[in-house]
Amino acid sequence: MPPRGVNPVHAGHYISGAGHLALIGWLLLGDVFSADPLPFDVTQAAMVSVQDYEALVQAARAPRPAPAPEQPEAPAATPVPEAPAPVQDAAAPQATPDAAPAPANETAPQVPEQALPPQAEAQDQIADLPTPDPIAEAADLAPQLSARPVPRAAERIAPEPVAPPPPEALPDPQRQDAITVDQSGERPQDPQDPQEATAPPEAASRIVTEADTPSGAPRQSLRPPLRPVAPSQAVARPAPASDPAPSDPVAQALAEALAAPAPAPGASGPPLSAAEKEGLRVAVSNCWNVGSLSSEALRTTVVVRVALDAEARPIASTITLASSDGGSQTAARQAFEAARRAIIRCGAKGFGLPSEKYSQWQDIEMTFNPERMRVK
Amino acid sequence: MMIRTVLIALTLMVGLAVPLKAQSQGPLRIEITEGVIEPLPFAIPAFEAENGAASDVARQLSALIAADLIGTGLFREIPASAFIAAPQRFDLPVQYADWKAINAQALITGSAALSGNSLTVKFRLYDVFSGAELGNGLQFKGTPEGWRRIGHKVADAVYARITGEGPYFDSRVVFVSETGPKDARSKRLAIMDYDGANVSFLTGGEDIVLAPRFSPAADRVLYTSYASGFPRIYMLDVGSNKRQVLDSQDGTMSFAPRFAPDGRTIVYSLARGGNTDIFTMDLQSGQSRRLTSSPSIETAPSFAPDGASIVFESDRSGSQQLYIMSASGGEARRISHGAGRYGTPVWSPRGDLVAFTKQNKGRFHIGVMRTDGSEERLLTASFLDEGPTWSPNGRVIMFHRETQGAAGRSALYSVDISGRNLRAVRTPEGGSDPSWSPVQN
Repeated sequence: MPPRGVNPVHAGHYISGAGHLALIGWLLLGDVFSADPLPFDVTQAAMVSVQDYEALVQAARAPRPAPAPEQPEAPAATPVPEAPAPVQDAAAPQATPDAAPAPANETAPQVPEQALPPQAEAQDQIADLPTPDPIAEAADLAPQLSARPVPRAAERIAPEPVAPPPPEALPDPQRQDAITVDQSGERPQDPQDPQEATAPPEAASRIVTEADTPSGAPRQSLRPPLRPVAPSQAVARPAPASDPAPSDPVAQALAEALAAPAPAPGASGPPLSAAEKEGLRVAVSNCWNVGSLSSEALRTTVVVRVALDAEARPIASTITLASSDGGSQTAARQAFEAARRAIIRCGAKGFGLPSEKYSQWQDIEMTFNPERMRVK
Repeated sequence: MMIRTVLIALTLMVGLAVPLKAQSQGPLRIEITEGVIEPLPFAIPAFEAENGAASDVARQLSALIAADLIGTGLFREIPASAFIAAPQRFDLPVQYADWKAINAQALITGSAALSGNSLTVKFRLYDVFSGAELGNGLQFKGTPEGWRRIGHKVADAVYARITGEGPYFDSRVVFVSETGPKDARSKRLAIMDYDGANVSFLTGGEDIVLAPRFSPAADRVLYTSYASGFPRIYMLDVGSNKRQVLDSQDGTMSFAPRFAPDGRTIVYSLARGGNTDIFTMDLQSGQSRRLTSSPSIETAPSFAPDGASIVFESDRSGSQQLYIMSASGGEARRISHGAGRYGTPVWSPRGDLVAFTKQNKGRFHIGVMRTDGSEERLLTASFLDEGPTWSPNGRVIMFHRETQGAAGRSALYSVDISGRNLRAVRTPEGGSDPSWSPVQN
């Protein structure tokens, strides 16, 4: 029950305010946060003039007395690299440090005394040096020769004497009959008893390398088999004579038509593949030099005909200009000559076309179009 | 009956079609659109000396011919050390296999005979891989002092026969020979062979001379001189070295002259009252005719080879561009439309191209474009390239290039219109403003 005259609603406020006031009073008057100051060092700084600072820096940079170099001894009669003779010239340039400027006699700054580095003393002569061992020095300067590798003992690959064949294994002196193809289809009976295997001949007196011995590997891939004969050609074979007489006019006409000479199998053959044509085109392109052609010739397209021999080499006398387009007669002649040079040069060793397709590339018509090569 | 007839007809057609197809197979057809661009290798053994007196000149001739051909960038000489067997006699048949083996595609053989004051030079040209002679052998006669011209003639014949281009080796160049620093440069008119040989000076270094131009017959030279204190056009006779001033109106400046293809008219610029226009002048009557009347600057006119049109530069559009107008004046058509400024146009002797100087982004270029402004190609680029002139065959352009700095030197260069084969032209001093003559007769 709150006292009279006090609003029971604010009783908590009054109690809280009294508590806070008591706490603040205790903090202020009770010397709760007082503490002794922490100990700290005090260093006295002094002003230094520019001159004094320079003097200090110069003193710090003064060269220290260099360690006395070792004086090499003059090389003896030994030839190995000559050590440079020590120079005893008294006038040899010595590193003479500049004298540090005297500090100005300013009064204020009291520069604390510091231990200055010792001043380098200029020497008039180089101190006598111990003479190095010339051999040791030569060993340092001259390139060291690596030990020559000792050749390994190579295995002897010369023909060793081959052990003689066993006496019972002698080459068969009898001559074998030549093998012939039997057309009868019957398996022949062995005319004699099976022969014993003969010994291989003795090793030759020289080394037979792989280069001398055919490896047996195919040197070129086999061409794909020919395409099957077209049905029209298959039926183009004339009918046997024993066919009935063509009393029928239709059959007679058909027989006459089919009896017309069909192209020989070797004259047609499979067509050139795209890769084979591309190879031919690239081969000629590599030799088609248009660098020396006139501007007008570079605007002239020429069609050139050429016949190749069986080894795919161009026959020079057959190279002719079939037609030209885009330039004068003179320009066409220049363009044709460049094309002819290309065909002859790059075809000198043959264009590498498949011989079984000779009829396909025996005659070639090449169109040389320099549109992409001309100067725009 | 009808069916039978149809069947017979079909059978006959089938029977005939088989052999027809076999016959119509025809040759293999391929199209080649890609080639190589490289110098054509040729061999030129030392010319045979038909007598002892001709031994030196025979050797010099073959060297000069080789240098001419190599200088085009279209040919490559096979060194003599690679020869399998050089022909001993000019008249002996050629062993093609020996030259094929070293990949010589062209072979030039020749002989020289010196008798008194007459030098006779013969030569033959062979297509090695075809195993045939290219054209007929030719023979030139001249004086021993003119052996270089004979050599250039032989080289011209070989060049024209193989490339199909017109000749240009036997030609001359008039230019401004320059000595001294840029701020005190002495300029003299000089004339030389196209390759820089036989230089002779036409004027002293007293007056500043500019832009010499050959006449179509190469017997006269137009140029601009400051001898009077103002630029004036002079015409100099090359043979007599006599000169005359062509236009001397008071208060005017005349410059940038060129001959018309007929050699009787010149076209030039005349500045009067701060305005520059293009005029023509009849050399016989001295009458001038105004072709342009614009407040802008029109200058650097050049005739088309047929004399019907003139290309010139003008800043009428606000920047320096190229225009073409009729030789009688009238409306001009702008042909340059690219970025930058265009100047000093020169019409090609073939009539198909216009060479020009272009300035863009701080660089100078020599370029060519078609006469309609299409297919513009820049051939060079440097600190300062200027003043193109065409070779007589329209295949090569000569110009001058100046290097940067106060000690910069001006020199002559040539370049193929393909943009390849940029070469310095040898001159005894610095050079500028070249003008190429036609081929000499």
